[in-house]
Amino acid sequence: MKKSTRMIIGFLLLALLFLAVWLIERAMGTNSMVITVLKKGAVYALIAVSMNLLNGFTGLFSLGQAGFMLVGAYTYAVFTIPMAKRMAVYQYYQGGIIQFEIPFFLAILLAGVVAALFAALIGMPVLRLKSDYLAIATLGFAEIIRAIIQYDKLGPITNGSNLLKTYPTFTTVLFPFVVSAVCIGIILLLIHSTYGRAFKAIRDDEIAAEAMGINLFRHKQLAFVVSSFFAGVGGALLAMYQGTVQANAFKSAMTYEILLIVVIGGMGSVSGSVMASFLFIACSEWWMRFLDSELMIGTFKVPLLRSGFRMVVFSILIMLVVLFYRRGIMGDRELSFDMFRRRKGVASK
Amino acid sequence: MIDKLLPCLLSGVSVGGQYALIAVGYTMVYGILRLINFAHGDIFTAAGFFMVYLAASLPLSLSLPLVILLTVALGFAVERVAYKPLRSAPRMSVMISAIGVSYLLQNLMWYITGGLAKQYPVIPWLSTSIAIGPTSTKIVTLFTPVLTIILSVALVTLIRRTKIGMAMRAVSRDFETARLMGIKIDSVISATFIIGSFLAAVGSVLYFSNYTSVTPTIGAMPGLKAFVAAVFGGIGSIPGAVIGAFVIGICENIIKMLGYTTFSDAFTFALLIVILLFKPTGLFGEKISEKV
Amino acid sequence: MSHVLRLENITMQFGGVVAINDLSMHIDQGEIVALIGPNGAGKTTAFNCITGVYEPTNGAVYFNDQCIVRNQPTGRMKKLYAGDNRTPCEGPRIAMTPDKITKLGIARTFQNIRLFKSQSAFENVLIGMHLRRTSNPFSATFRLNLQEEKQMRQQAMELLEIVGLGAFAYEKATSLPYGQQRRLEIARALATQPRLLLLDEPAAGMNPQETDELGEFIVRIKDDFKLTVFLIEHHMNLVMDISDRIYVIDFGRQIAHGSPAQVQDDPEVIRAYLGEEEA
Repeated sequence: MKKSTRMIIGFLLLALLFLAVWLIERAMGTNSMVITVLKKGAVYALIAVSMNLLNGFTGLFSLGQAGFMLVGAYTYAVFTIPMAKRMAVYQYYQGGIIQFEIPFFLAILLAGVVAALFAALIGMPVLRLKSDYLAIATLGFAEIIRAIIQYDKLGPITNGSNLLKTYPTFTTVLFPFVVSAVCIGIILLLIHSTYGRAFKAIRDDEIAAEAMGINLFRHKQLAFVVSSFFAGVGGALLAMYQGTVQANAFKSAMTYEILLIVVIGGMGSVSGSVMASFLFIACSEWWMRFLDSELMIGTFKVPLLRSGFRMVVFSILIMLVVLFYRRGIMGDRELSFDMFRRRKGVASK
Repeated sequence: MIDKLLPCLLSGVSVGGQYALIAVGYTMVYGILRLINFAHGDIFTAAGFFMVYLAASLPLSLSLPLVILLTVALGFAVERVAYKPLRSAPRMSVMISAIGVSYLLQNLMWYITGGLAKQYPVIPWLSTSIAIGPTSTKIVTLFTPVLTIILSVALVTLIRRTKIGMAMRAVSRDFETARLMGIKIDSVISATFIIGSFLAAVGSVLYFSNYTSVTPTIGAMPGLKAFVAAVFGGIGSIPGAVIGAFVIGICENIIKMLGYTTFSDAFTFALLIVILLFKPTGLFGEKISEKV
Repeated sequence: MSHVLRLENITMQFGGVVAINDLSMHIDQGEIVALIGPNGAGKTTAFNCITGVYEPTNGAVYFNDQCIVRNQPTGRMKKLYAGDNRTPCEGPRIAMTPDKITKLGIARTFQNIRLFKSQSAFENVLIGMHLRRTSNPFSATFRLNLQEEKQMRQQAMELLEIVGLGAFAYEKATSLPYGQQRRLEIARALATQPRLLLLDEPAAGMNPQETDELGEFIVRIKDDFKLTVFLIEHHMNLVMDISDRIYVIDFGRQIAHGSPAQVQDDPEVIRAYLGEEEA
């Protein structure tokens, strides 16, 4: 198959997917479980891919994702709460000091830009650190950002530790799908460019990469900023999905969840991250729900089933993947036409 | 000022001692496996819950040693189940496994407790108030630093003088060579986790006697701070971890006294980043360079 | 007189261990110069000092008369310093990072092959071309550099053909046999468009025939790419065949220098390699 035909088929399949999603929404109604999973799955797909760009493709073990999502979510919410509602939202701060609103799509973009700016600043010191120190330092920065946003004196801007709400949210499930698809598409283009090759070189062997004239710091910085930009956009989408945001929810546990999604999908596989996101969200929000409610069969009460059991089973499953299925769903390969051809036994290449 | 500073310093030293007991577990595991044991803070929390449930039905004289035994068993089991199978895997995989264990332990504890905070039992002697000058404090505040120092001196002696200590030093210096010299790597690593969990259990008794309620995620923050303390002192160094923990405990309480409670956690991480930038090897750490 | 590469009184000390002791040497345009010596003599350490991987304790390195490395003992090292040359190197400290040095035109291969493991042979060479790019992240992402990308791919393929790996372009680099991996490392180094090529034991693990072919190959690429070559090698036949001059070091010190014939007959060299007879 020629490259151009492959691309056309790829786009057709994507369009078909969008159509299917749209039809499902028409058929099931906006509030059904499927739609919830699709919305949240699309948001998480973008966030997981952005994290994979760092951890899987550039080999930087960064744990700051929740911090950048937080920045994105807040930037979006702060600038889009309608003027009329500001008095009620910022009730402890006399309506806050930001007395204007911007269109939601601009705010999403701004969310990415602000997160990227934070990343550029943070990256300067931390990207010079070795792998595990980098992990702890980025985790630390996420905590610092969370503390700063909740700081009382910043209340007129961030509303302190109170909820932000009443900003525009998703009207259709197609919106997060389209935004995520565009963003993931851009990340894919970057990964397949000469810069993406340099990222992978750094992941494989830093010393050899540097000997090949690749400026380690500049390239790590680039990966970090781009990843954070999309984490910020993802944060904005998450805010839209949730309808309310509060800094306290963006704890390191959130980063861990995203990291586990990346691992399940396969470090270094974009399509793996996307599939794992939907799988993860579907499991945790939908398919395993029954584990959380008590169940009576006749007079027999099924043991163990009660609130919280779902997450226990879920984390055991994740541990099984981490221990025995370390390459995840896709390893470092991508979903492609060749894969299916090879499966059918047709010689490839 | 002085009447505010004294209790502040007292609780700083006390919190520092509790961090120190956790930090030693981090620093020893890191020294040997080059692994940030993200689950260590959750083992500390688990020790708290063991106490809550055991003390409900057993007298303290029984439940206290049982808590320590169970915590040690948990630490040992975590190593055997989640880290040992990954001995030859890339370091990132082991770290991810550690994060997975942390996630599992937190969810498990949430399930068992129903997500509610549990009241920590009162340990009579530790919780007694005594007066120091103009202020009064619990005995645990004074007892913690003393016990911390006794335990760390004992540990340092163990590592310097005993055979298992020598084996630990050998393994942390060079994993492969130590194996070739006939050292049983797995038992050395198990011993490390057992010691680390033992100290975490002791630390948890002291910590929760002070804070009195246990929640499933309460250990995460002290855990991270203890890790920072270990880095501050120079990872792999036990005296370093203890000193680092005391510094962090005291600084944190001074910040709280000055009215910036929101930033007391953030401060720890700011300290971490400053140290890593200016003295990556910490106070007592050794430089490791990669061979090209 | 202008040299391509000049080392001035380089001493490299790890703590108290002196790995290179007061080493001075020079290489001229178009030469093939070999650095030989027994195991542990400090040969690879010398390469690492030139390419910026290590920072020497004392001394300076010049590339086409531009200083790329310069240092003198400071701090704790002042007391520990044990080099033969007691005068500290004059001038401000210069410590270029390896990537800058490669950009100036020094490329290297590694003794213990360091290819990009997850990538194909072709991609390994492409990565070597990254530093000569004119695109920025934006233009590269949005494919505004198609012309350049096409050119890079074409050149990478040509380089693979030159080292005889054209047929294996899409094989994973680490699945190639040992000798081919060494050739791939050379192709990758050539992709950075160097003026000076440092080869660290390029014939290690090769049989005599392969070694002969490698010798001819090195001479050929030297002429074709107008290179200067500096190599570390243990295969004496290869070294004697292709080198214009040879430096011999032992325990970090230079013990002999000259043409292959001169070095071969040098009593110091024979002693270093064969050991001293007990009197």
